[in-house]
Amino acid sequence: MAQTIPCPICGKPVAFDDPDMPFCSDRCRLIDLGNWASEKYVISTPAGPNDLEEIPETQPQESPKDRVQ
Amino acid sequence: MAITAENNNTGIYDSSSIKVLEGLEAVRLRPAMYIGSTGELGLHHLVYEVVDNSVDEALAGYCTEIGVTIHIDNSITIVDNGRGIPVDIHPEEGVSAAQVVLTKLHAGGKFDSNTYKVSGGLHGVGVSCVNALAETLHVEIWRDKSTWEQDYERGIPKGPLTRTGKSNKTGTKITFKADPTIMDATEFNFDTLAQRLRQLAFLNKGLKITLTDERGENIRSEEFFYSGGISEFIKHLNRGKAVLHDKPIHFEGERELPNGGKLTIEVALQYNDSYSENVFSFANNINTVDGGSHLSGFRSALTRSINAAAQQSGLFKDQKENLTGDDVREGLTAVISVKLPQPQFEGQTKGKLNSDIQGYVVQLVNEKLGEYFDKNPAVTKKIVTKAIEAARAREAARKARDLTRRKGALDSGGLPGKLADCQERDPDRCELFLVEGESAGGTAKSGRDRRYQAILPLKGKILNVEKARYDKMLSHEEIRAMITAIGTGIGKGDEFDLAKLRYGKIIIMTDADVDGSHIRTLLLTFFFRHMQPLITRGKVFVAQPPLYRIKKGKSEKYIKDDKEFTREILRRATENLSVELGSTTNPVAEKIEGPELRSFLMLLDELANISRRLERRVRDARVVDVLSDVTLPFDTKADLQNESSVKAVAERLQQTKLDVAVEREDEHSAWMISYKDPTNATRYINTEFMTMPEFRRVRALVKQAARFNKPPFTLVKDAQRQSIANWRELLETVMNEGKREVTVQRYKGLGEMNAEQLWSTTMNAETRTLLQVDLKDFAETEPIFSTLMGEDVESRRKFIEENALDVRNLDV
Repeated sequence: MAQTIPCPICGKPVAFDDPDMPFCSDRCRLIDLGNWASEKYVISTPAGPNDLEEIPETQPQESPKDRVQ
Repeated sequence: MAITAENNNTGIYDSSSIKVLEGLEAVRLRPAMYIGSTGELGLHHLVYEVVDNSVDEALAGYCTEIGVTIHIDNSITIVDNGRGIPVDIHPEEGVSAAQVVLTKLHAGGKFDSNTYKVSGGLHGVGVSCVNALAETLHVEIWRDKSTWEQDYERGIPKGPLTRTGKSNKTGTKITFKADPTIMDATEFNFDTLAQRLRQLAFLNKGLKITLTDERGENIRSEEFFYSGGISEFIKHLNRGKAVLHDKPIHFEGERELPNGGKLTIEVALQYNDSYSENVFSFANNINTVDGGSHLSGFRSALTRSINAAAQQSGLFKDQKENLTGDDVREGLTAVISVKLPQPQFEGQTKGKLNSDIQGYVVQLVNEKLGEYFDKNPAVTKKIVTKAIEAARAREAARKARDLTRRKGALDSGGLPGKLADCQERDPDRCELFLVEGESAGGTAKSGRDRRYQAILPLKGKILNVEKARYDKMLSHEEIRAMITAIGTGIGKGDEFDLAKLRYGKIIIMTDADVDGSHIRTLLLTFFFRHMQPLITRGKVFVAQPPLYRIKKGKSEKYIKDDKEFTREILRRATENLSVELGSTTNPVAEKIEGPELRSFLMLLDELANISRRLERRVRDARVVDVLSDVTLPFDTKADLQNESSVKAVAERLQQTKLDVAVEREDEHSAWMISYKDPTNATRYINTEFMTMPEFRRVRALVKQAARFNKPPFTLVKDAQRQSIANWRELLETVMNEGKREVTVQRYKGLGEMNAEQLWSTTMNAETRTLLQVDLKDFAETEPIFSTLMGEDVESRRKFIEENALDVRNLDV
């Protein structure tokens, strides 16, 4: 079976050898480009290995919902 | 004229009929003026002209069946079960009404106002045109319990309409053969006729239309009959497509017109998952290809109704602007059919309805669609969501176009002002360094070989400064500068032109820290998504700037990461020392040195790092210590089933003065340990804890280390012996030993190097290492990028927490 990756916009699986890969369609490609153009893509601190200490630690009794910020 | 003479001889026609004949002669002289063309279009038009008369009978409520038969000589018969064309003598013309209809141009109009409230009559030229352009035409009428017949040749009657028999049925049958001396096309196309006849059947529900083709070896016949009307038309148009809602939205209504006539409006619509619009409008069964008042009324009401529904449903809150007509028509299949007396058309092809009915259509559609949306919130939500998506795509397209438009800070050559280009013009020999930060960019500019190395500094905008978080992104301007500098354009197919690539190598040069890895991730993701051929052709590289400089005397060494640094320091330290295990006095103590010692110490280094992480999770060093005890059988969640092992661990924790309890965890039918951390919060060692990567890695490492981890240790260097209590101290002592005679500089960024250093460590093609970026790298990482860059903060955080140990892998 061909390897697939999810379309970054709609999540539909796209075959790795699809000419549109990683997008499922021109439409999703355009939306993605629009996202770049409007500066929507952000990587924030928790992504880095040296920044783990900066993740605000959760209080153990809290539900996951409370710990977003 | 021969025709006139002949007619005069027979004495049937008076001077007024000559006028009529002259009218038909005009049709023969300029056929295209009346039926559009003498080609296929015009030929089929002749059939529609006759069929439309029958449909008019159906509209008036007198006809239920129409048959169309193509004969082997491409003559064609149209038969209906209407009332039959009137056969009585027309008071003004002095001949049968049927003959007037068949010979007088626009004669049909005379009957329209009297006989029919609503009439189509394609383009209103009338069946007389067909007669004029027919080599032969035979008409048979069943009316008043009689059969009537008449024959024509090229529009001229062979004799008067004659009663030829009795009949109990009613209806009209016309058979004609197109005149090959005028018509260029004389052969009918089954599919063309089928398409139009099917349309008529959809538009007139309950009307049965049969098309038969006798020309082939086997007679081919199709019947069109739709009780669902245009609703079935919609289903037909959407066949094979994924629809948003199963049942088309279908409504109709009537309005009184000011002139006393009646306007009926029928609308059916259904959305599919495509992005195109497929809308048909009809006025009195005529396909108004250019739309008109009925279509514009429908469109404005649709836009208004969906906007209103969107507001009500609360789906609109993120949407700044109203949905446009284009937004609400994406994926729309709709049929609007109006019927009204004496429609006014406009334009050369008369494909546009001009009658002033827009207001009525708007009113009806608003009312009925509003009702539908109220009653069907689920369908409404799908439609509104689709329209909002369309609006977002439209906005995205606008912004995306702006990315590649040439404007802004470009120099005279059309290149970005920030770009320090190289002198070489052969792209294959050129390199573009994408450098993080203005200051590093400056250093790179001084350090580069300007003959073939170009520098484009990118700073990566920082957001959320007030929260002291390093949220990084590439600004619009930076992406644009990069696209312009690279020169290929973006996208796929024709939009992307590798031949225009201005550099043979595109080298991403970022700090060896988190920020650097963020910028690198962003750049690589952008290349992967929008300039993918650069990656498949192996044009994209990642520079490897050093993280450390180790200097001893005149020799210096650059180290690219922490692991290599540790290895290098340990290598230097262990050159002339050994470690004895277990005892300080026993002369036969086990002794390790050289590579064996180095790999043991590397293992301890990793254990130290991972233990630090585990400590951050459990919030207490004592807990880490106990859990690192290799003698305790406490590794997987299965061990939580065993009460005695759990109690053994709890006991050990208690010995460290922790406040500990053993409890049942019903959710997993297992035991768990609770303890109070230094903030007095209760924490658990439970099933979830046992699957935590930090914990599992610590357990794996302590087991690997157990072979040599036998304190106390004795460090032996030359004749000196030093006793060391545990592995942590051992590691620290050896590391310090390794650093003793060297100067270590840790680079926090490219900017800390001077131009010469940056050149020799990272940019000089003779000495540098570059990592080539491979498409395969993205198969697994693209979903990770998506998560990292998503707007969903929670899933991002969750991802980081779950994959804490693998985060290093993100450093492509």
